Amino acid sequence: MSEENHTPVEDGLLEETKEDSSESKSTADVDQTPTIEEETEAELEESEDVQAMREELDKIKIEPPKIDLPVFENLDAYPLSYKENDNKETLVLQYAENFRRQFVHLYRDRKPLLLNPLNECGVEKFVCTTIRPTLLPYQEMYDYDGAAEFVADYITFVPLAPPIELPKTLFSPATVLAKQKGHCLEMSTLLCSLLLGAGYDAYVVSGYATKEMCLCDETREICPLMQKKKEVKKEEETKESKKYTVKPAKDLRSKFIMKQEQRKIEEQEKEREKIRKEEEEKQAELEKPPPDDLFGLRIHSWVLVLSGKREVPENFFIEPLSGGSFPTDDDNFLGIESLWNNTNYWVCMQDCSNGCKDLIFDLGDCSKWEYMFPHIEKPQLQIPEVEEDALDFDDDEDEEKEEEKHLDLPPSWVKTLCLTLREFQTRCPSGKKTLLYKRAKLEKFAEYLNKNGLVTKLSVYEDKELQQLVRIKEWYSNRLDKLQLRVHNHRKGIVTEYYASGRSRHLKEHIYKAVTPGPESERTMIFYHHARVDGLKKRDETATEMTEYFVDRDDFLYYRHVVFGKRPRKLEPAGSNPNSNPRPILKIVDRFHRNKAKPANDDVAELIFMMSEDRIQLMFHHEDTKISASTREFLKPPNANDKGSVLTMSPDMTSTFQVDPNSKQPKDLIIYQMLVNLLEREEATVNMVRDSEEEVREILSDRDHEESVSELSISVYDTERNEKAKQHRKELERLQMEEKMRREEMELDYLAPFLAQIGDPEKIVKAQAFTLKEDCLADLKHRLIDKANLIQARFEKETTELQKKQQWYQQHQVSMNKEDEEEYLNYCSEAMFRIHILELRLNRHKETAPHKYMALEQKLRTDSRLAEYF
Amino acid sequence: MSRLYDTVEPAVIDEEMLLKAVEEQGPKEEAGRIAKQEGIDFCDVVQLRLDFKNILKIDNLWQFTRLTKLQLDNNIIEKIEGLDQLVNLIWLDLSFNNIEIIEGFDKLTKLEDLTLYNNRISVIENMDALTKLHVLSVGNNNIEQLENVKYLRRFKNLQTLNLSGNEFCDDGNYKAYIVAHIPSLVYLDFRLIDESTRVAANEQYKYSIEELEADENAEERKRVSEKEKQDLFELHKSAYVENLNGPFLFDSMFFDDTEGPKLASLPGVEELLITFKEKFTEICQQLFEFGLQEHAKRKKEVSEFFECIEDAKKENKDIAAEKIDSFLAYKKKLFSEIQHMSDQKVLDSRIEEYHKEVNVIWDQLMGYELQLVDQLEETIKEFDRNMADMVSLFVENVQAQISQCRELENQHHEKLLEIAVITLEKFVKNELDDDVPDETKLLLVDKDTIQNAVSASHDLHLLKIDNREDEIITRANNWMAALMEQIHQDEEIKRNRDRICEINNLIDHLNDELDNLDLHGGL
Repeated sequence: MSEENHTPVEDGLLEETKEDSSESKSTADVDQTPTIEEETEAELEESEDVQAMREELDKIKIEPPKIDLPVFENLDAYPLSYKENDNKETLVLQYAENFRRQFVHLYRDRKPLLLNPLNECGVEKFVCTTIRPTLLPYQEMYDYDGAAEFVADYITFVPLAPPIELPKTLFSPATVLAKQKGHCLEMSTLLCSLLLGAGYDAYVVSGYATKEMCLCDETREICPLMQKKKEVKKEEETKESKKYTVKPAKDLRSKFIMKQEQRKIEEQEKEREKIRKEEEEKQAELEKPPPDDLFGLRIHSWVLVLSGKREVPENFFIEPLSGGSFPTDDDNFLGIESLWNNTNYWVCMQDCSNGCKDLIFDLGDCSKWEYMFPHIEKPQLQIPEVEEDALDFDDDEDEEKEEEKHLDLPPSWVKTLCLTLREFQTRCPSGKKTLLYKRAKLEKFAEYLNKNGLVTKLSVYEDKELQQLVRIKEWYSNRLDKLQLRVHNHRKGIVTEYYASGRSRHLKEHIYKAVTPGPESERTMIFYHHARVDGLKKRDETATEMTEYFVDRDDFLYYRHVVFGKRPRKLEPAGSNPNSNPRPILKIVDRFHRNKAKPANDDVAELIFMMSEDRIQLMFHHEDTKISASTREFLKPPNANDKGSVLTMSPDMTSTFQVDPNSKQPKDLIIYQMLVNLLEREEATVNMVRDSEEEVREILSDRDHEESVSELSISVYDTERNEKAKQHRKELERLQMEEKMRREEMELDYLAPFLAQIGDPEKIVKAQAFTLKEDCLADLKHRLIDKANLIQARFEKETTELQKKQQWYQQHQVSMNKEDEEEYLNYCSEAMFRIHILELRLNRHKETAPHKYMALEQKLRTDSRLAEYF
Repeated sequence: MSRLYDTVEPAVIDEEMLLKAVEEQGPKEEAGRIAKQEGIDFCDVVQLRLDFKNILKIDNLWQFTRLTKLQLDNNIIEKIEGLDQLVNLIWLDLSFNNIEIIEGFDKLTKLEDLTLYNNRISVIENMDALTKLHVLSVGNNNIEQLENVKYLRRFKNLQTLNLSGNEFCDDGNYKAYIVAHIPSLVYLDFRLIDESTRVAANEQYKYSIEELEADENAEERKRVSEKEKQDLFELHKSAYVENLNGPFLFDSMFFDDTEGPKLASLPGVEELLITFKEKFTEICQQLFEFGLQEHAKRKKEVSEFFECIEDAKKENKDIAAEKIDSFLAYKKKLFSEIQHMSDQKVLDSRIEEYHKEVNVIWDQLMGYELQLVDQLEETIKEFDRNMADMVSLFVENVQAQISQCRELENQHHEKLLEIAVITLEKFVKNELDDDVPDETKLLLVDKDTIQNAVSASHDLHLLKIDNREDEIITRANNWMAALMEQIHQDEEIKRNRDRICEINNLIDHLNDELDNLDLHGGL
C-alpha cells in the first residue's frame, strides 16, 4: 500500500469533509457509469478490442475508502487535557508533522508512521505524550513479567480492524485500564508506561508480526506451564584414575562378538532415530499454520526492553497480548517501523527483510535509527573521551546554547493511572480468562472468585481438536486445607494432590486412583517428614500391602513393609466400623540403617515378624570387612501371645548363623532377653501399623470433609474479604452511632411535659410563659421537698429500729451467748453507719436544693422560647 | 555412721557377698531361672548395689569391668580405692561413709554422677580425670574454704551441685559466690538457680570472676601454644629432621667439645666460627625443608595407596555381598517351595540343585577373593617399589647435604689448624700481644699439642655429624620396613585368611541349613 492511498489517516480532523467528498465522489462514479455505457452502446460494433478493453475495465472497480468514525462518547467525563492541545503540544504536533513530511519526501516507499493518532476525545495527540510512566503499588508490577502478565490478563485484546493498517485512534492508557480493552498499540503503550514506571528502559514498538502473534493465537504454542524446566545437568565428576587403583579383572569375553553386537545395537538405534525423526517432521508439517496472505503486512505493536537498567542483561521483546517475553531474534517478529517512549521517537532505518534478527538496538546510531528530537540526552554515540576532553570547554557552551533551542516534550496529557486493589485482584475482565494452546486449554480465575479456591486450570488434550482429555492440572490458592495443585491423569485414572506445609498431618503429596478413593486401596502419600515426629516420608499402599519409608529416625528405622491377609468374615452389618474387624497382619518387615554405636553383629539390619508362622527373623548388618551377615531366627513360644504368662525358653526355639565362627556364643540369658524384647516390639509394631491404618482413614475422612466444605482462608490484613474484621468494623461504627444518639437524647427538652399540658402551642404567649415558668419551678420545688422528706423518713425509720434493737438487747443481755452479742454489735455499727450517711445526705440536699432551684430559674429565664418575656 | 562403726564387726567384700548381691539384683522369673542355670559372670554385671553392708574397704571389684552404676553408700569406707578397673562407671554413690580425702578417681573418666554426701571431706581435690562430671554432691562434709569451690570450675558439664551442710554455708555470700564462680550450674542444693540470682551474683563477683577468667584464658592459650609446638615437633620428628631448622646440630657439635672453647679464644677464630656457623646452619635449614617436603610426599603416597586399597576392597566386597544376597533370595524361595512339596523325586532334584548352587556360589566367592588377592598383590608390589625409590632418594639427598656439612667442617678444621700454628709461632716468638686465657695458653706448648687439640675437636664434630646422618637413614629405612611388613601382614595375609574363613563358614552354614530343613520336613 502506498503513501498516497493513506492520506485520510493523517487528517483526522477533516473527516467529515472527507466523508462528504468521498460520498460525492462515489455519486459521481454512479453518475458517470451510465454515460460510459451509452458511449459503448453507441460504438458497439466498432471493434472487439474495445470490447475486450471494456471487459478489462469492468473488472476494475473503485471502492471508496470507508472511514468509520470512531465513536466518542461522553466527552464531559474527560479532563481538559484530553479535549484540547495546549501551545506546547500544538508545537510538538507541528514539529512531528514537519518530520513526517520530510520523512515522506525522503523515503517515498516507506509506510506511514504512527505519530499523531486521535485520542478518545477525537483530539490529535503525539504518541510520546500518550505514555504515562506509572508504578502501581502492587508487588507484581515491580517486575516486567508480572506487569506483562497483568496487562495481558487485564486487558481484552481487540484486533486491528484492517489488520494491515495503522489504527486511527490511540486511547490513553488510563482509559484502556478503565475499559479493560484495547488494541495492540494501546496495550503496548499501557505496558510501556508500567515498565517505565518500574524503572525499565522500555519502548513501544510499531512493526509487523506474524498472524499468530497479531491475533494472540497461541494454539500452536506449547503452554508455558507445560514447558519443562531445563534441567541443570550436573557434570559428573570424572573419577581421577589414582595411582594405585587396582587393575580391573581380566575381561575374558570375545572382543569381536562384542563389537558385532555393539554395531547391531547402533544400527537399530539409528533406524529408530530415523523413524522418529520422520514422524516428527510429519507432525510438524501437519501442525504448520496455513500460509498467510498478509504475511509481513500485519501491523503489530509490542514493547522493547533494552539492557542496562534494572539489571536486564540483554535486549528483549515483550508481547503485550500474551504477556510473554521473547528474544529479539524471534521468528514471529517480522520488522520494526518505529519505536518510541516518553522521551523520543525513533524510526528504524535498518533492513527488516530478515525479520528482527539482524537489527541492532543502538539508538544513538543515526544511520540505524533516525530520531525525531535531537536534544534528548540518552543515546548519543559513544565518542572516545580523549578528544572530548580537549574540546570540552567550547563544546559545553555550544551544547548548552544548542539545547536551549531544542524543543522538549511536554508532559503527558494522560491523567494518572490508578487501579484499586479489588480491580487488580480481579485480574481478567470478570475474573475469568481462557487461553488456548497447542493441545491444551488454560483457564485463569481471580482469587476468591471460585468457592473452592481454583485459580488456574490447565487441561491437556491428546488431539488438536481438544476432545480427548489427557490430564487436568488445577492450581488452588488460599485454601484452608492447603491444597495447592491437583493433577488428574485421565489416561491412568490417577489423581495427584500437592499440599503446602502446615496441614495437621503434614501431608505433602497424595496420589490415588480416582476410581477408588477409599481406604485400603492403591495410594501413595508423601509427607513433610521433617515436621513429623515419626519421620515418615512416604507411605505406599496397595489393597494388601503397605510400605512406609522413614527419614532420620532415632531408632534408625527407614523402611517398613506390611502384608495384610484377608479379613475374616464375620456376621456383621456391612457398614460397621472397620476398626472392630481389622485386617489380619501376616508379615511385617522392618529395615534399619547401621547404628555405628553398636557392633555390626548386634545391630539389626532387617527384622521380619512372620505373624502367620509365629516366627521372627533377624538379619544383622554386615561388618565393614565382611561379605555375609549374621542371622538369627526365633520360633515364638506357644504362650507368647497370652499376656501375663511367663515365657518359657527352650534352646530349640532359636537358630542362628554367626559370620565369625570364632566369636563367642551369647549367653542364653541375653538371647532370652532378646526374645522378650522382640515380642514386646512385635506388639508395638503391630500397634504402629494399626495407627498408620487409622491415620490413613482419618486423613481420607478429613479430605472428604475439606473437599465438601472447601473453605478459603482469608488474611487478617484483607479488610475487604475478612468477614470478622468487617463485622468488627461495622460493630464499631454501630457503637459510635449509638453513642451519638445517646448524646442527642441527653439534651431532652425539660419543658416538654409542661408544653404538652398546654397543648404544644406554636407560639407561647406571655401569660402562658409565666404559668410555664411558675409550673416548672413549682414542680422542681415539690420534687426537692419530696426528696428531703423521703430522706428524713428513712432516717427516722432507721433510728427507731435501732432503738428497738437496743431495748431488746438490754432485755436479753443476760441470756445471750457470745455469737449473738457479736451479731448485735455488728448490727449496731452498721445501723449507725447508715444513719450517719442519711444525715449527711440530708444536709447536702438542703445545701444544694436552693442552688438547683436558682439554676432552673436562670435556665428558664434564658430559654429561647420564653426569653422574650423575661 | 560412727555408732555402727563401734558396735558391728566390719564386713569384707568377698565372693559370697558379691554373688548374693548379684543374684538378688539380677534378673527375675524365667530370666532368673536361666541365669541361675547358666551362672552370671561378674564382668557382665552393669549395676551393683552394696549398701548397708558395713564395708570398711573397697576391694575385689576388679572383675566388674562393665559396671556403670555402683552404690556403696551407708558403709564405713574410709578410703577411696580399688576402683581403677571400673573404667565404665558412670554413677558412683559413696555417701554416708567415713571418707576423708578425695582420691582414687584417676581412671574413672566416664563418671558423670558422683555422690560423696555425708563424709569427712575437707578439701575438694584430685578429680581432674572426671571431665564428664554432671552431678556432684559433697554436702554434709567438712569443707571450710569457700575458695575451694573454684576447683569445680574445670568441669564444663557440671549442672547440679550439692554443698549444703558444709561449714562455709553459714557465710551469707555462699550461694552468690558459688553461682558466680561455676557458670555451668543449673541446680544448687536441689534448687533451680533463677535468672535474677544469677545476675545478682555475677554483678557481685564481677571483678574477681573477670580476673579469674583472664588467668584461665592465659593458661589455656599457653597450653594451646605448647601443644602446637609439640605437634610441630612431632611432625618434624616423623620427617626425621627435628631440630635441623636452626643451629642445634652445630651447637651440639661444640657441646661435648672440651677443646673447642679453648681454641675459640685464639685470635681470628671467633670470626671464623661465626661464618662457619652461618653456612652450617644454612645447610641444615635446607636439609630440614627438604625433609619436610619429602615427608609430605611420602604421606600423600601412603594415603593414596590406602585409599585405593580400600576402594578395591569395598568394590570387591559389594560384589560379593550382592551375590550372596541374590543367593539368599533364591534360597528363601526354594525352601518355601520344598516345604510344600510332597513328591520325593522332585524334592530330591531340588536338593540336588541347591547343592549345586551352593557350589557355584562358593566358586564365585572364592574367585572374587582370588582376584582381589591378585590385584592387591600387584598394587602392593608397585607401592613397595615406589616407596623404596622414594626413601632411597631421600637418603641420597640427605647424604649429599650432610657431606656438604662435613666439607664445611673440614674447611673449618684446616683454617683452624692454620690459625693454631700461626698463633703458636707467634706465641713462641712472644709476639702475641692479645691476652689469651690461661687454658688456651696451656695448649700453646708445642705443635703436637695444639694439633692434637684441633684434630680432637674436629673428630668429635665429624662424629656428631655422622651420628646424625646415621640416625636419619636408619629411621627412614626402619619406618619403610615396618610399613611394608604391616601392609603384607594386614592387607594380604590376615585379610585373605579372614575372608576364606568367612566364605567357608557361610557355605557350611548353607549346607547345614538344608539338612536342618529336611529334618523339619520329615517331622
